[in-house]
Amino acid sequence: MMEKLVVIGAGMASGRLLEHLFEADPTAYDVTLFNAEPRGNYNRIMLSPVLSGEKSYAEIVTHDDAWYAQNNVTCRFGERVERIDRDRKMVVGAQGEVAYDKLVIATGSDPFIIPCDGHDLDGVIAYRDLDDTNRMIDTAPGQRAVVIGGGLLGLEAAAGLRMRGLDVTVLHLAGHLMERQLDPAAGYLLRADLERRGITVMTEASTKCIRGETCVEAVELQDGTVLPADLVVMAVGIRPAARLAKDNGLIVNKAIEVDAQMRTSDPDIFAVGECIEFAGQLFGLVAPLYDQAKVLAATLLGQDAVFAPKQLSTKLKVTGCDLFSAGDFAEGPGREDVVFRDPARGIYKRLVIEDDQLVGAVMYGDTADANWFFGLIKDGTDIAEMRETLIFGPAYQGGAAVDPLAAVAALPADAEICGCNGVCKGQIVAAIDGGATDLGAVRATTKASASCGTCTGLVEQVLAATLGDAFQMPAAQPVCGCTDLSHEDVRRLIKSQALKSQPAVWQELGWSTPNGCHICRPAVNFYLLADWPLEYQDDPQSRFVNERKHANIQKDGTFSVVPRMWGGITTADELRAIADAADKYDVPTVKVTGGQRIDLLGVKGEDLPAMWADLNAAGLVSGHAYSKGLRTVKTCVGTDHCRFGTQDSTGLGIRLEKRLWGSWTPHKVKLAVSGCPRNCAEATCKDVGIVCVESGFEIGVGGAAGMDVKEVEPLVKVATEDEAVEWTVAFVQLYREHAKYLDRPYKWLSKVGLDWVQQTLTDAAERKALVDRFDLSQTIYQTDPWAELAVREKARAFAPIADLTLEAAE
Amino acid sequence: MTLMDPVTISRTFIEVAEVWVPEGDRLVLASGAYGDHETFGEASQRESFAKGEGLPGKAWSDACPVVLKGFDGSYFKRTDAAKEAGLTSAVAIPVFAGATLKAVLVVLCADDATRNGAIEVWSEDAGTLSLCDGYFGAATDFEAVSQTTTFQAGSGLPGGVWAARRPILMRDLGARYGFLRAETASPAGLKRGLGLPVPVPGGRVFVVTLLSAQATPIARRFEVWDARSARTGARETARLIDGICDRDGPLWDPDNAGNERTATIWEGPIGRVLGTGVPVAETGAAALGYAMMVALPIHKDGELAHIVAWYC
Repeated sequence: MMEKLVVIGAGMASGRLLEHLFEADPTAYDVTLFNAEPRGNYNRIMLSPVLSGEKSYAEIVTHDDAWYAQNNVTCRFGERVERIDRDRKMVVGAQGEVAYDKLVIATGSDPFIIPCDGHDLDGVIAYRDLDDTNRMIDTAPGQRAVVIGGGLLGLEAAAGLRMRGLDVTVLHLAGHLMERQLDPAAGYLLRADLERRGITVMTEASTKCIRGETCVEAVELQDGTVLPADLVVMAVGIRPAARLAKDNGLIVNKAIEVDAQMRTSDPDIFAVGECIEFAGQLFGLVAPLYDQAKVLAATLLGQDAVFAPKQLSTKLKVTGCDLFSAGDFAEGPGREDVVFRDPARGIYKRLVIEDDQLVGAVMYGDTADANWFFGLIKDGTDIAEMRETLIFGPAYQGGAAVDPLAAVAALPADAEICGCNGVCKGQIVAAIDGGATDLGAVRATTKASASCGTCTGLVEQVLAATLGDAFQMPAAQPVCGCTDLSHEDVRRLIKSQALKSQPAVWQELGWSTPNGCHICRPAVNFYLLADWPLEYQDDPQSRFVNERKHANIQKDGTFSVVPRMWGGITTADELRAIADAADKYDVPTVKVTGGQRIDLLGVKGEDLPAMWADLNAAGLVSGHAYSKGLRTVKTCVGTDHCRFGTQDSTGLGIRLEKRLWGSWTPHKVKLAVSGCPRNCAEATCKDVGIVCVESGFEIGVGGAAGMDVKEVEPLVKVATEDEAVEWTVAFVQLYREHAKYLDRPYKWLSKVGLDWVQQTLTDAAERKALVDRFDLSQTIYQTDPWAELAVREKARAFAPIADLTLEAAE
Repeated sequence: MTLMDPVTISRTFIEVAEVWVPEGDRLVLASGAYGDHETFGEASQRESFAKGEGLPGKAWSDACPVVLKGFDGSYFKRTDAAKEAGLTSAVAIPVFAGATLKAVLVVLCADDATRNGAIEVWSEDAGTLSLCDGYFGAATDFEAVSQTTTFQAGSGLPGGVWAARRPILMRDLGARYGFLRAETASPAGLKRGLGLPVPVPGGRVFVVTLLSAQATPIARRFEVWDARSARTGARETARLIDGICDRDGPLWDPDNAGNERTATIWEGPIGRVLGTGVPVAETGAAALGYAMMVALPIHKDGELAHIVAWYC
């Protein structure tokens, strides 16, 4: 007599189980199959192409009525199981009960719905089954859809809805899409791909509520943004559907606990699929589900089989978005990255190697070798022998080492070298034959590398390949080991290619590391925030330790705290507050600085937020004594008190400081205003020094009084205080926009020349534009970090922990 | 699934397909599938086209797909032979790899009141795709709707192809799934759609769609091959990543990802396209029992990326 097998849930895992079972022994079990959905097993992971229209539902049906009939499966579809009577070994459905000898629970998972206000409105759906898919299909083109969740499922829903002509916005809580599967660089390319489809992507977007009377009208974000919406798709995750098991007394932790034979805490009840937990692990991708099905089929047939989770890989089913990720690609000590980027083709590949084994891979744009790499990860292959050429894929293994010059030499004459200007190798060779023997001459003759400049290296290689020894490869000083580009090139390209994020820079400029290093990241962070104040968000992790802590770290690990004193002016109340703080936090040293400020030295890191809060309460803000930004404006007492004073130097100093504070600059900037040529404020050795005279203000720039001592060079003499402010602000902005990171103004001036600076600033329109751009930037950056950090009680950030991989070392 | 018996259907939407390749400064015939129209084939073999001359030459010089809905008084050079064969309209698709013209594919159709189907050319203007030209046979209502429809990037079949920069196959246009003009596609009997990007020098965007009706199909079998894996093996291969066939059903298996059917360079018509980057139009064994097959390479950034093939 056949044993009775009841299966609850007709999903992909149980479907595969039945296939194995019938294949091995069709006479072993008499099967009854329950499914809450009014249909049998279909390939759920192919719902995305059905949504987009690339496949039809009929094509993704795995088991049709004929299959169930042929295998004598009693189908109870559209019927929910109410309970399991374990004593009587009965499953109780809405339409009656059925006895079992063995029971399989394959209830899968339920979509997680964010329990925000409005989550139950009509038009808020998940993306889980055919009904959800049909609901999306039924939404008319032109309607507005908001997809909450930028993971695999959310993005597939977004792309499908977009194909159907809807206006689609994706909201994602993390900083980049699919953050669990992709690193920021691949996330950047994916975002660019989706935006090219007309999908709006908002990251770091947290949903506050869903608005609407009876049906969805809008989604409101935590930051107050309101997005009108006719359809909201929640694709923020899944939860194992383990309720039935739990209610019936089986052991359930995060999901139904099973052993390696898929047996639950009841020896006659088994479970497979997304509803199970094995060794603390949950399962959401299809490959392990199929493995479980195979093991369970064997178990049910009395054979030995053991389930062991394997490495998983991810692919996104959005036509034209080629991405792949597998293994572990987190950075860490002892791990090495190999990165390949082809900016022109939007290709990014990153391999993570540990102990001569490939442990992780992320690829975007070219995933042709993905399976080969995945095999190396799964098998733990020793890759020491092919380390050098590993990133180029299997085609290169066993062959000669890749010499970029050999590859260039082998290029045919019609191979395009400069994509921007459509210049082929043959044209460059012809120009070289015609006497253009260096990069400048080739650029002038052919326009190759004259636009975006990313092919400069290639052009140089063509020169080298053509001229041999006659061409000396130039030794341009690159920013760091991550790139061959110089600071100047990077600045130029950030502007010309409108690169507005770090991942955009890494990708489009072909960085050889995943996230840059401690040398390039602070520079790129500055260039981005200086050029794109509104679009780019400052990355504190890309700052030197002093700038991250908003205080100067001292050699004993304590910090110094310097409140701002506008123009060096203070009050009795402020001094009292400083004295109180010194007492309260046991500050060992209080010193007056050369820039006319008071420095509290020896403050413990954990005391910083509270001390800032106290000083804030007294009206004092950060003096930025640690920053690559405006430090101090030193003044003399001017006409208020001094009998030699010609102008209100103190007033001008305060005005300048209030205008300029908070702005980030390539290096620190110090100012001074002296009320007369006696120069008590020592203005002539500052980055910008103003000396007041009877007829107005003499503005000098490019002074120094550090390792180098240098007197300012005269920039301009102006008649009014307003003009002095305008010129100073314009000069600082010009410096911000053009200088190499960590060049003080005097170094920068020695490169670009004072003449060019004078010429630029003399143009009134240009001067005004610079001031406008500076002011725009200040709308974002002129904030007191003390207030922000103290209020948010971010004290924990000052505890002594460090993420070494992202640390920007001093 | 209802599988059509190919034998019961005699007429197809496309009657002739031919491939013209540059030789010196002229285009010459590389391959052709002429079906019953042997005389027209003979006329073609005697012909060659300079840049700008005739339909293939025009697709070359204009660097865009060209639709010709009547031959009389036009630049079409083989009007008499075409008339004799009953061929009334033609579409020419240039195949560029970067700036290099690899070939021009010309398909010719015969007009009558019952032949439904559409070959559309969409071009981008100011951020949207609109119908540049098209041949619709008897599907006049559908033509009218198409003329007033525009697509943004990512939207609909043309917009999806544009955004993805690769071919997309839709298998059930009349059903409510996916196809934005489903309401009018259904009465016209349009069932399957294949959208192709047509890369041309200069960055203009063109998308060609082949919309096939069950009764007079453009094709009974569609295949989409990924040729980007060509670099990976010792011998170059392309993988069959999607397809649908009236006889064999779906030509993809989601459980088999990574182990798809492959075509090896120089082997068979797909292999030949892989080796040359030039389309083929074949009859005989290569057509897998159908009357003819056409395989068209799609280049991306100057390199062969995909191959689409249709059999009818």
